[in-house]
Amino acid sequence: MILHVKHIPARQTALAASVASTLVTACGEGEIQPRVLDNLNVHLDWLQYKTNFREAITLRRAVRGQEILPWIEVGVDLRQVQNDSVRQEFVTALKDATDAAASRKRIYFEPYTAIRSGLIWRFNNLFWQHLPLWESAIGHGFEKALPGGTSDANHPEAVADAVADFWTLLKDLEGHNQLPAEIFALEIGVGTGQRAAAWLDRFRALDRERGTNYYPRIRFLLADYSMPTLNRAMEAVKEHRELASFLAVDALDPFKSLSFLRYKVLSIHLTNVYDNLPTDEIVIRDGKLYFVEARAYVNASAANRICETAGVAPTEFARTVSRLLEVGPQHLLHGNVEQGVSFWRSVWDAIRLEERFVAIQSILDAPLPSGVKPGLLENFVGEGVLNQRFHLSSGALESFLNTVPLLHPRGYLQVQDIFVTRFEDYGKMFRGPGKMDGSIVNWVNGALLAEVGAQAGYDVHFAPFHYREGSRTSTLYTTHRE
Amino acid sequence: MSLPTLPTTVVGSYSMPGWLERLKTEYFARRISRQELDEIHDAAVKAAIKDQEVCGLDVVTDGELRRDNLIDYFAERLPGVQTDHTSKKFYYDFYDSVVRGKLPMASLRLADDFRFLSAFTERATKFCVTGPHTLVKRIKDEYYKNEEAFAMDLARVMNMELKELVRAGARYIQIDEPYYSGFPEDLQWGVKVLNTLVDGVDAKIALHVCYGNRYGKPSWAGNYRYLFPTILEANIQQLTLEFARRGGEDLELFKEFPNKFELGVGVIDVKTHEVETPDIVAERIRKALKFVPAERIFILPDCGLLHLPQEVAFAKLRTMVQGAKIVRKELGG
Repeated sequence: MILHVKHIPARQTALAASVASTLVTACGEGEIQPRVLDNLNVHLDWLQYKTNFREAITLRRAVRGQEILPWIEVGVDLRQVQNDSVRQEFVTALKDATDAAASRKRIYFEPYTAIRSGLIWRFNNLFWQHLPLWESAIGHGFEKALPGGTSDANHPEAVADAVADFWTLLKDLEGHNQLPAEIFALEIGVGTGQRAAAWLDRFRALDRERGTNYYPRIRFLLADYSMPTLNRAMEAVKEHRELASFLAVDALDPFKSLSFLRYKVLSIHLTNVYDNLPTDEIVIRDGKLYFVEARAYVNASAANRICETAGVAPTEFARTVSRLLEVGPQHLLHGNVEQGVSFWRSVWDAIRLEERFVAIQSILDAPLPSGVKPGLLENFVGEGVLNQRFHLSSGALESFLNTVPLLHPRGYLQVQDIFVTRFEDYGKMFRGPGKMDGSIVNWVNGALLAEVGAQAGYDVHFAPFHYREGSRTSTLYTTHRE
Repeated sequence: MSLPTLPTTVVGSYSMPGWLERLKTEYFARRISRQELDEIHDAAVKAAIKDQEVCGLDVVTDGELRRDNLIDYFAERLPGVQTDHTSKKFYYDFYDSVVRGKLPMASLRLADDFRFLSAFTERATKFCVTGPHTLVKRIKDEYYKNEEAFAMDLARVMNMELKELVRAGARYIQIDEPYYSGFPEDLQWGVKVLNTLVDGVDAKIALHVCYGNRYGKPSWAGNYRYLFPTILEANIQQLTLEFARRGGEDLELFKEFPNKFELGVGVIDVKTHEVETPDIVAERIRKALKFVPAERIFILPDCGLLHLPQEVAFAKLRTMVQGAKIVRKELGG
């Protein structure tokens, strides 16, 4: 057995040592088959997200084609694990690794699939489509779940600085006689609409103060794929209604809806969008690459509890979940919205991902968004990396590549989000996926995004968000690459 | 070599295959030799010529596939221009080139490329050269301390090269000056430099001005009004401009400022993978015909095809040729 100790906060080292000692003892006392022990890698992690898709003890196998490789990985989440039960859970998990019947303890919703295509993203979609129902059930807005209780993007100083930068750009364009008659600014993923409102308020004030009369030429586009969100944003920016338009846009492909604005938009802003877009993951173990596949499940015991509470026959559980995703919570359980939302929240809370690692030859064997030239990525991982797990950030890459063609030659893209800006930083802490209320959150592979940006003709930079102490967000901004 | 009415050609570059991008980058990583890369370039250029012929172009180029970008091929050949670091992460990146003394008069050896082109096609040919104004914007000047003076010396050196091209058989030479659009305030001296560049060069001289195509996206916005009337002083025979992506509004300038230039009309948008239909191309040509007579019009894409996938570039050229044929027929050709 090889023990990997990762992501352990200083105050949890004693717990890590205790758990490690328990596991080593279990192995030493012969509770694990020697054949399993020879191929066993145990990863002790502290998972950053309080709610996520993993069990306290998670087993992962690797496959090459149809062959199951002897190598076994066990992930131990120190946040969830109970010291007094860890030994038994560990032994049971490893027994399950060789016991086909073990899977009967789980109710699977899908076969193994690429993470970005999995069922959890349908739940994520459900959350944004039925946001008011969820918020009504929990008694507060979704932004409360964010660190700090609100989006960093709404910070007044950050907005003021963004407006000042934009005004300077407009002034410069005007100086070169290149200011367009219509000044397009686009926000994708509008949240509550507060940022857009604050931006427009501030811009109008600055414009009046400096007497430039740019404000009436602003065409502010608010884009989101969730109609409830757009409706809420519409209310937030009502003072600027004549300048604002509201568009249903898929964040993965803004160009599809907005191609008429090709090379015309001077400022594009996204906040907390990329971290909520589908992604895949790559794992490096002993220097070899694996693509992560997963299947969503709920433990049979949890399913029984949920069914009992909701008055659903256990045999109808999977079908009811499927119906939830198809028609929404308001049409479940005889139209009792409260019970429907409760069922939804319970299922979401109970959903876990069972993972397997599929051996690949190189990163080029992983599905890359169209438009990403594979040549440069061959060297992305670099040599000598033996153990790492990282996001491909498929959705973020796709969104980026389908957004930048909207940019005016002097325009820029700003994305406020949680970015891993250096590949090696993936080793420093758990980067998701986690659950944020009813949605999914993943850190975004900023290092890879920078490579892809360069291929598309944009230098990608990251600036830490310095307006709120302790903020982990940073701002990606583009400059045109010479 | 006689050409039909509305002759078709490319602006210069042809689609850069992904495999060639990778091999060029391999060269900078020292994983393949210069000789191997030269052989690869020869094969790629032959394929690009063949593609243009199959598409039915009347005038072909070498596709500029030997060039990493619009600057470095010239910067590394210009006598007196130094490149301190000759490695790149990606072949398309620019070198940090610098001039530290007066440029000596010496050859850039471009005629070899032209001879290669003419050896592998029976069609009429065009040879494209990046102009001095664009070069001075990317080559750091530590000697002249004055862009116009630097550009003028570049023009003198390159004038000798253009004459060498003519001696090798070049009859149609295009000067690429996309940076005019980024720095319209330079146009007065830019045209003086251009006239020095082409002085005594016995060939059809075309000037290509676009809004940039770096990484397949525009570098600047605006319109061509800034070119007029200053550009009318240029000793050129043809002006090649982009109209497909930007629309044909600027064609009005040819009515407002009467001139004798041939017009190279950009009818293919090179910044989208969507392939135009022959009818769309024909319509764009008809629009140009309202302002310039057919005998003074050449048909081209907006700019180089470098960034388009091969199959898209090929399809667009075929469509362009078909569109030109439609209009030719209407004209009784």
